[in-house]
Amino acid sequence: MHRNWYRLDTAALIFPAIARLDWCNAFRVSATLDEDIDPVLLQQATDSLRRRFPSFFVTLHQGFFWCYLEESDRQVRVREDYAYPLTFMSSRELKQNCMRVLYYRNRIAVEFFHSLTDGRGGCVFLCSLTARYLELKYGIRIPREGMVRDPESPPPPEELEDSFFRNAAATAAGRKEEASFRLHGTKEAEGFKHLTTGVVETAALLDAAHAYGVSVTALLAGVMAKSIMEMQALERQGRRLRPVKITLPVDLRRLYGSETLRNFSLVLNVGADPRYGDYSLEELCRVIWHQIGAGATRQNMAGMIAANVQPQQSILLRLAPAFIKHAVMDLVYRNSGESGGSLNISNLGSVRLPEPMQAHVQRMEFIIGPQRSYPNNCSVLSCGGRTYINMIRNIRESELERRFFSKLVEMGIAVEIESNRRTLSSAVPQEHGRNTAGQSKPGEGGCSEA
Amino acid sequence: MYCVKCGVRLPEGEESCPLCGTPVWNPEGETPVRAYPDSMPSHYREADLPGALVMTVLCLIAEAVLLTVCLKLYGEQSWGGYAVLGVLLFYIVAVLPRWFRHPKGEIFVPVDHAAAALYVLYVCVRTGGSWFMSFALPVLACSCLLSTAMICLLKYVRRGRLYIFGGFLILLGGFTVLVEFLEHISFGTVMFQWSLYSLSGFVIAGLVLLVTALIPPLRHELEKRFFI
Repeated sequence: MHRNWYRLDTAALIFPAIARLDWCNAFRVSATLDEDIDPVLLQQATDSLRRRFPSFFVTLHQGFFWCYLEESDRQVRVREDYAYPLTFMSSRELKQNCMRVLYYRNRIAVEFFHSLTDGRGGCVFLCSLTARYLELKYGIRIPREGMVRDPESPPPPEELEDSFFRNAAATAAGRKEEASFRLHGTKEAEGFKHLTTGVVETAALLDAAHAYGVSVTALLAGVMAKSIMEMQALERQGRRLRPVKITLPVDLRRLYGSETLRNFSLVLNVGADPRYGDYSLEELCRVIWHQIGAGATRQNMAGMIAANVQPQQSILLRLAPAFIKHAVMDLVYRNSGESGGSLNISNLGSVRLPEPMQAHVQRMEFIIGPQRSYPNNCSVLSCGGRTYINMIRNIRESELERRFFSKLVEMGIAVEIESNRRTLSSAVPQEHGRNTAGQSKPGEGGCSEA
Repeated sequence: MYCVKCGVRLPEGEESCPLCGTPVWNPEGETPVRAYPDSMPSHYREADLPGALVMTVLCLIAEAVLLTVCLKLYGEQSWGGYAVLGVLLFYIVAVLPRWFRHPKGEIFVPVDHAAAALYVLYVCVRTGGSWFMSFALPVLACSCLLSTAMICLLKYVRRGRLYIFGGFLILLGGFTVLVEFLEHISFGTVMFQWSLYSLSGFVIAGLVLLVTALIPPLRHELEKRFFI
C-alpha cells in the first residue's frame, strides 16, 4: 500500500542525530478539563484527527541519506499518564509512533518528538483534539477558530511545508557563541523528571513586566538569569565566571506569515556576562528585552535560517550517508548547539480558546524536556487569565526553582506551586545531593517527604 | 497556605514546600490531588549494575571454591578445569551483557561463540581428541556467522523481514547438512541420515516465507488474519 512520506524540515533534521540511548528532544502540551477523561471517547477523537493532521500520525525512519517521516496506519493508542512527563521515547517507539496521547484524571496530554512539530504546532493539535473530544462527549459544536481546526477538511498544503527554505537569507549568520555557565546536580534515578509548576495571574505578571518596561518573556528570562548568576557566584566564589545566557525559542510564523504546522522556530541566546560587573534584576530584564528586540527581527532570523538551510544545499553533504551526517550534526550540536545557553525558556504565549471550549478547559500547560547537556528547562503558557510556568529538571536539587519563584514572590507576584513529587516507595534519599551552588540541601526537591 | 521560607502559595494539604522542603506545620484540608500517577514507564532500561555486580561476585566465589576443592581433593588432572571454564563461559554469556544498558547482539553473539569455542577446545585437548579443527570450529564458526548476520539484518534493515527469515530458514537447513557432513568426516558416522529431512523441512518453510514476501496480496491477507 502506498504511504505518504515527508522529508524532515530543516529544524527537525537535528533531533534524530542528537538523540541518545536515554534522551531525545520531546515536548508536551496538555489541557485540563472540568471532568474526568473518558479514554474511549479520547481514542475516538484522536483517530478522527488522522485525516486533518497527516504529518502527526507518522513514524520516523532512517533512509540511506536522510531520515524521513512516513504516514502510519498504526493507531496512536491513548493511554494513562506516567509518574512524570516526557518519559523517554526510544528509537523503537519512534518507529511505531512519534507522538503519544495520554490522560490522567481530567487531563489530556500530547507528547511529541520534536521532529514532528514545534510548540505552536503541538498546541494546534491539542486544541483540535480537545475540541473534538468535547464535541463527542457533550454533543456541542466548537467553532473552528483560533487554534481549533476542522477534522473533516483536508490539510492545506501550507500547513505541511518546510517554511525555512522559503525564508532563508542569501548570507548565513555566524553561529559562534561563547560557552555559558552550565547548571548541574545529582542525576535522578530511572530517568525521573521533576516538574514544578508555578501558577500566577497573568495580569500580575504583565504589571510586573510593564513596571520594568519589558515583555513577560524578558521579565522571566531576567529573573531566571539573575537566579543562575547568584548560583554561579556562590559556586565559583567569583572566579572563572562564565556568561549566563537564556535560550529563547522564537516562533517565526508571526515574522514571516507562515501557516505551517511543522517546525518553524529558531532560538536566540540572551543574557549577560557577570565578569563585566553585577547586574540588578531591572538592568538584566532591560538588557534582555533589548537583545530580544534586536535579535528577533525578520532580517536577523533570515540570516540564522540561512545558516541551517545552506548546509543542506551542499551536494557533498547531501551525498554523505545518514550516519555520517548524524555524526557531523552531533559534533556541531555539541560544540555550538547547547553550549551557548544555560537553560531554555520557551514561552508559547497566550492561548485563546473558542467560548464553548473555554467553559470546559480549566487550564493548559506546555512542558519541554531537559536538554541533553543541561538539567533544567522552563516553559510557559497562559490560558484563561493564568500563566503556568513549568520548570522541569532531571536532577534532585531544586535550588534554581526555589530562587526563581522566590524572586517572583519578592516582586509582589503571588505564585502557587505544584509538583509531581515522588511517592515514598519510589523516592530516592538525597542526603548526598549537592546543588549547583555547592550547598548540601537535605530534604529539598522532589524527595523531601521521604 | 504559604511556605514561610519561599513565600509561595501551596495547595491545601501539602506537607512540605516542593521548592525548599520546609515542612508545613499546620496542614489543612485533604491530601492534595496528585498531578501525576505513580506508574513508572516500563520501557526505560538502565544497565543492571547491582545485578551484574552480585553475579560477578558469585561467579568469583564459585571459581575460587571449585579451584580449591578440585586441587586439594582431586589434584590437577580432575574435572576442575571443566567446571572453572564452565563458570567462565556462563559469566561471559549471561552476566557480561548486564553491565551494559543496551548490549549489542552483533557484538555479544560473536563473543559468546568465541568463548564457547575456547571451552570446546579445552574439552578436546583434555580428552585427547582431534575433532576440534575438523568439527567443532567449523560448526561454531558457521553458527556465529548465521546468527550475527541474522541479528544485523533484523536490526539495520528496515524492510524485507520475510525475505530475511525465509533466507535464514533455508540457510539453517543447509547448516544441519553441514553439521552431519562434518560429523561424518570427524567421527566416521553414516552420511546424511537425518539432515536431509531437516533440510527439506527448513527449505519448505523458507520458501513459503519467500513466496509470501513476493506476493503482496497474499502477505496482506496472512498479516490480517494472523497478526498478534
